[in-house]
Amino acid sequence: MLTALLACPLVGMLVVMVLPKTAVRAIRLAALLATGAALLLSLELLNGFGNPAILHYVERHSWIPQLNVFYFLGLDGLSLPLVLLTTLLGFLACIASWSITERHKEYFALYLLLEVGMLGTFVALDLFLFYIFWEVVLVPMYFLIGIWGGGRREYSAFKFFVYTLAGSLFMLLGILALYLRAGTFDMIGLATAGRGYELPFQQLLFVAFFLGFAIKVPIFPFHTWLPDAHVDAPTPISVLLAGVLLKMGAYGFFRIAYPIAPAGAAWFAGAMALLGMINIVYGAFVAMAQTDFKKLVAYSSVSHMGFVLLGLASMTSQGFNGALFQMIAHGLISGAMFLMVGVLYDRAHTRDLHAFGGLGAKVPVYAGLLMFFSLALLGLPGLAGFVGEFMTLAGTFGVWRWQTAVSVLGVVVTAAYTLTAVQRVLLGPLNAKWQALADINLREILTVAPLLLGTLALGVYPLALLSLQDGAVVRLLRHMAGAR
Amino acid sequence: MWSVLTESLTAWWPETVLASGALAVLVAGAWTRRSQPALTLAWITLAVAAVGLWRAPVTPSSGVFFGMIVCDPFAYAVRWLALGATALVLLLVMGSREVEAAIRGEYYGLLLLLSVGLMLMAEANHLLTAYLAMELVSLSSYALAGFLTDVRAAEGSLKYLLFGALASAIMLFGMSLLFGLTGTLSFPQLARSLAELPAAAQRAAIMAATFMVVGLGYKISLVPFHLWTPDVYEGAPVPVAALFSVGPKAAGLALFVRAMEALAPAGTALLPLLLTLTIVTMTLGNLLALVQTNVKRLLAYSTIGQVGYLMIGLVVHSSAGREALLVYLVAYLFMNVGAFACVTAVVNDSGSESLDAFRGLARRSPGLALCCAIFLLSLAGLPPMLGFFGKFLLFGAALQAGHSWLALAGILNSAIALYYYVNIIRQMYLLAPQHTAPVDEPLPLRLAIAVCVVATLAVGVLPGTLLQAVRAAATVHLL
Repeated sequence: MLTALLACPLVGMLVVMVLPKTAVRAIRLAALLATGAALLLSLELLNGFGNPAILHYVERHSWIPQLNVFYFLGLDGLSLPLVLLTTLLGFLACIASWSITERHKEYFALYLLLEVGMLGTFVALDLFLFYIFWEVVLVPMYFLIGIWGGGRREYSAFKFFVYTLAGSLFMLLGILALYLRAGTFDMIGLATAGRGYELPFQQLLFVAFFLGFAIKVPIFPFHTWLPDAHVDAPTPISVLLAGVLLKMGAYGFFRIAYPIAPAGAAWFAGAMALLGMINIVYGAFVAMAQTDFKKLVAYSSVSHMGFVLLGLASMTSQGFNGALFQMIAHGLISGAMFLMVGVLYDRAHTRDLHAFGGLGAKVPVYAGLLMFFSLALLGLPGLAGFVGEFMTLAGTFGVWRWQTAVSVLGVVVTAAYTLTAVQRVLLGPLNAKWQALADINLREILTVAPLLLGTLALGVYPLALLSLQDGAVVRLLRHMAGAR
Repeated sequence: MWSVLTESLTAWWPETVLASGALAVLVAGAWTRRSQPALTLAWITLAVAAVGLWRAPVTPSSGVFFGMIVCDPFAYAVRWLALGATALVLLLVMGSREVEAAIRGEYYGLLLLLSVGLMLMAEANHLLTAYLAMELVSLSSYALAGFLTDVRAAEGSLKYLLFGALASAIMLFGMSLLFGLTGTLSFPQLARSLAELPAAAQRAAIMAATFMVVGLGYKISLVPFHLWTPDVYEGAPVPVAALFSVGPKAAGLALFVRAMEALAPAGTALLPLLLTLTIVTMTLGNLLALVQTNVKRLLAYSTIGQVGYLMIGLVVHSSAGREALLVYLVAYLFMNVGAFACVTAVVNDSGSESLDAFRGLARRSPGLALCCAIFLLSLAGLPPMLGFFGKFLLFGAALQAGHSWLALAGILNSAIALYYYVNIIRQMYLLAPQHTAPVDEPLPLRLAIAVCVVATLAVGVLPGTLLQAVRAAATVHLL
């Protein structure tokens, strides 16, 4: 089942590669069918999914017997929501990719390869396999930013590539050290073996994995690739960067670093809380200083991923649940925000916040949608963003008091910069330049509508997601407690 | 006496065929002006030698040629590598326009002789055999490097010759010291005698071993004996540079590994020095590659960097290290010759060796650009290509042996190396081409690229079989 899920975009990629490059319609259709099939298949996964604490849809075949490497896939409550998020955003961003105007064949082939890598990262349960999928993401991303991006795209693409590769190489050392000690790459087996290791070794492991994941999340001070890459990437790729790629790093903590080196994680928790706080507050303040709308959204990602770190640092069930919830909520909301910015940019060819004004009356549908997602971004109760932030803060407050208290400041700043941005774009007198600005079209509405519904649904009824993940969180905490 | 000879010949007849074939090709090349008969003969020779190697016993019951040569599984693996490298390079030669203009039949003969030398290096069990093998490789290389009649070729070839003569003289001096100390030249006896040397004589043995390192280090472009590499690569035709970057490195490392076993007591004392040289080699190679604008010079420095990674397999001094070394050599053969094949195609097309010649290749010849990108990403060590798997094993071997710093240096170097490999990819994919005509790829080049790309990808995804085959070669006792 999971192999079939991975095969959807892979087959799509191969089909795109054999199609002639002038057959743009066929290429788009193939990509749309491939991502659509993946989305349907991932929804189908929900049917057979029972207890989130145990693995479902397990596939385990020997791959490199000499090294004890397995082709080992499976899903539990930690990964299922992220798989759903990936297939959803993958499908929507594929629709949004209609705006790509050149070299379609290469674009969609790389796009589908990227989706293979992202999905593989979330379903792999063998560290070797995980690492391969993790790295497979880098190469298409480099090209997608470098060829179809804007601004300083070559620089940004390369910076992204080097940063993430450097980080993952440290992770590779960690994987090797772990393998030499335990003789297996099986994440489940490693989690059992790993928590018994002495503290210095666990600390070493945690630091190695931390470097790999921290760059991806990104955690201050490794975040500088993010604004460059997010801003210069084409809109659909920004959506995937913010919506999925950042989650890969956070997922790595939940799936690998925490279960395998729980004592190392506990040792690092204080620093993690501090880094989370810095991410939240610093990200928010920097976002406030931006005049480029896309850059503002990019920095808001730094800020919002800080909540995930804070939740990770708490080591409580509420904090973990909040962090996982925040990952999904942020995926939906920031994905939508990038799409909204893209819609505006496609029409106005500028993202400068000062260039707009008064668009609210001119493009009412767009204005309504932008308003909705901005409110979701600033954490309005009743929408998904609020639940994640609130649970994280509540779960962490008992453990890291002043760090949490300072982080709340970030929420206030977030409200300030989001409202300022909305005000500059939608309110005030209409800039005469935009007299002829067209409202959002049906295709664009279709790309954001599912995100709107998701944000609303999760905000009103968070239990839908929490019930999918809570069992896995409880199991993880119990596993980690067993080490101490 | 007679039985030893027949047994030796059964084990060694691939080399016998190759050597006599090489001589026949040389004669045929001198006989006719046309190169076609010589080429056909060369392919027949290679094919017969391959069949011979396939059928040859992996471990003959006794010493071959009275213990001058050893045909163990370790040597067997490297013999295949040498044969594979020669075959791939022959394809490159056939597809190269710059060689076409100057081609003579003797050229193929020299290539085959060089390949005999490579195989002999891997099998040497005696200092004399080792020296002869290295000289055979060197002399063929000098001639091949200077085959084009231009100034750069002449400079490269002469530089190669002068450095080579100096290095082999120093190595010869080391050998004579060893002979004076122990009274033997045979590897197994050397190991035994050196272990029994009195403490005072140990220092002389260490000195002799150091001299040996100079000669071997020259062959594999170990820093600081690497200075000839970029100039020779730049002057030589692209296919020949491809051969230099793979063949002598593989055979040289094989001989190095065996010599380290033979000189074990003195060699162990050299390990810290070798460890340092390994780190310096990879770092310097990669750093200097960053600033190159000529693609051959870039690949020369990249070779030096790669030799640094390969040396990890040697300095960790374990069977895991040898296994990693062999796997990475296989990976390196395919990805590096593949990259050189792409360079051959580009040089054919533009006549320029500058990095700019790669501009916009993805729009002109998407297939070629894709293959080239795969080779470069494999050289950079990205999964799922075979280069990643080799590096994975190498770094693993370093950690296993407790050399965390070595693994860390390898990791940091991989990040540095990414820059110049990706820079070529950037030229191909991100920049606009100067004109849009597709690059012409002759059939032999296509074949070589196809073989390399399939090996790099398929074996990279399913490395189990390769690992199984190599493991036998890596665990064997080398003396």
